Amino acid sequence: MKSLIIGETSNGTISSGTLELISKITQEGLDFKLITIGSDENPKIGSDTFKNTYMKLNQNELSLASIADEISNIIKSESINLVLASSTYVGRDIAGFLSVDLNASPISNVVNFKIDGDNLSTTNSIDGGESDYLTNVTSEVKVLIIRPKSFEPSEIELNDNYETVSIEKNNLSVAVQDIFIEEKTGPQLEDSKIVISAGRGMVDVENLKFIEELANKLNAAIGGTRAIVDAGWMPYSQQVGQTGKTVKPDVYIACGISGATQHQVGMKDSKFIIAINKDEEAPIFQIADFGVVGDTLSIIPKLIESL
Amino acid sequence: MKIAVCAKQIPDPAIAVKYENGTIIRPDEQVLDDTDRYGIEVALQLKEKFDAEVTVISMGKLGTQKGIQQALQMGADKALVIEDESLKNSNSLMTSNVLSEIAKLAQADIVIFGTESSDGYSGVVPQQVSRYLDLPCISYVKGIEINDETLLTRQTITGSEKVVMPSKCVISVTASGVEPRYPNFKDIMAAKSKVVEQVDISSINLTAEQNQEFIEIKSISNDKSGEKHIDEGEAFNLIIEKLKEIKAI
Repeated sequence: MKSLIIGETSNGTISSGTLELISKITQEGLDFKLITIGSDENPKIGSDTFKNTYMKLNQNELSLASIADEISNIIKSESINLVLASSTYVGRDIAGFLSVDLNASPISNVVNFKIDGDNLSTTNSIDGGESDYLTNVTSEVKVLIIRPKSFEPSEIELNDNYETVSIEKNNLSVAVQDIFIEEKTGPQLEDSKIVISAGRGMVDVENLKFIEELANKLNAAIGGTRAIVDAGWMPYSQQVGQTGKTVKPDVYIACGISGATQHQVGMKDSKFIIAINKDEEAPIFQIADFGVVGDTLSIIPKLIESL
Repeated sequence: MKIAVCAKQIPDPAIAVKYENGTIIRPDEQVLDDTDRYGIEVALQLKEKFDAEVTVISMGKLGTQKGIQQALQMGADKALVIEDESLKNSNSLMTSNVLSEIAKLAQADIVIFGTESSDGYSGVVPQQVSRYLDLPCISYVKGIEINDETLLTRQTITGSEKVVMPSKCVISVTASGVEPRYPNFKDIMAAKSKVVEQVDISSINLTAEQNQEFIEIKSISNDKSGEKHIDEGEAFNLIIEKLKEIKAI
């Protein structure tokens, strides 16, 4: 199978999601072509072991449709029949566009896949991660959208050995008027060894100061449920769950979180889960290694005090 | 301005989804997918400002049409829907192929979706529809400001960005940023007389095909319920001991 990885940059290097795809495809014994999309200036994304083409986005244009045109041409001219993208904003947009050009419906929420000659079978996460859906993919070109944290990222030495292609805007490009970068301070959600997350059980946005203090003490990143992000207590970038981020820290501390499926899918694979919740029946306790039934607002201040 | 807004009918989300041979079993009574309410809200805000016509588009088992009614009750003008045996268990490409064709029938300038459905969540249908229709795609919209021009705020990996809404485009709306409205009694009564037109499959140019052979569904046992303690004032000590035991501190 001739494979193409749709990669992305992150903080001037290759994103960890892309490194996961590289490691999996290498494990399957396949050669691959890598196209990395990003807007970073001179990122370190090259390697001596594989070829990488950097498709550089102009930050002032929405032009992924134009990038998809380029990639479709490459897939067709090089007879590529396996395309891997990460389930990210960019990955989903690109995979969606390509699938129409290639008349090949993408397989979404893939958490594992197996290649056997010309056959490819996938494991797709459904029901918010409660079940796996196993399929054989039968289209000539197979487009897979892989959920983050499905594979161990590969550790490769990166250098400046790659080619850069500038993307011209096309008739579908849209001008960007304003860019807002969310300040990120402290440990990042995806890489932190400890994540502390808050839910509705924190009662009031004011009480998030306890979560912040606890996170400071434990050098932890802070996450939240969709409910509190929708309520405006936290920026979307901190949302953990199906429509937010997937995290897999060593320790996940769920504070006042009931544990809706939408949230569980983003954190259930954490190595050790501690849950604090008033409601003894809360679903979060079914996946917690260590549960405390009690008032989060009285327990956390004591924790902070004693740490 | 004509707007098509997608409304998916899904099984009651409070009940676990059931499958038969890999296909979701859909009861006669399905409800409006909550994630579509955000897209409908954006459509209605545009309708109010530009006097736009809003057509609900939907594909799948119609049943009692409760979900379609819910979308009309919010304030959409009419509905164009399709149900056909051949579309059962459609993949995302078939779905977007059909919805694009229906958006054309609605003569839509703007086509609006939720980001992903709650039952299938393939998360690519809006992007695919934009490609079929050859329109710009403004994905992951989390805010709208309608003044002289309409500004859409998009979620990005590093924060957000604002774009001016093109006169023709496809938009996907995330479940935040706008507050979906609740219909009152008058809206509910008014919806009953709105037209729900069924589109026949013969008027759809369907080129997408099935491409997954179902093997099996394996349920993952999540239940690892470990120790559970009732707090009587001292549980914080247990947490600290545990954090030490697992070498987190």
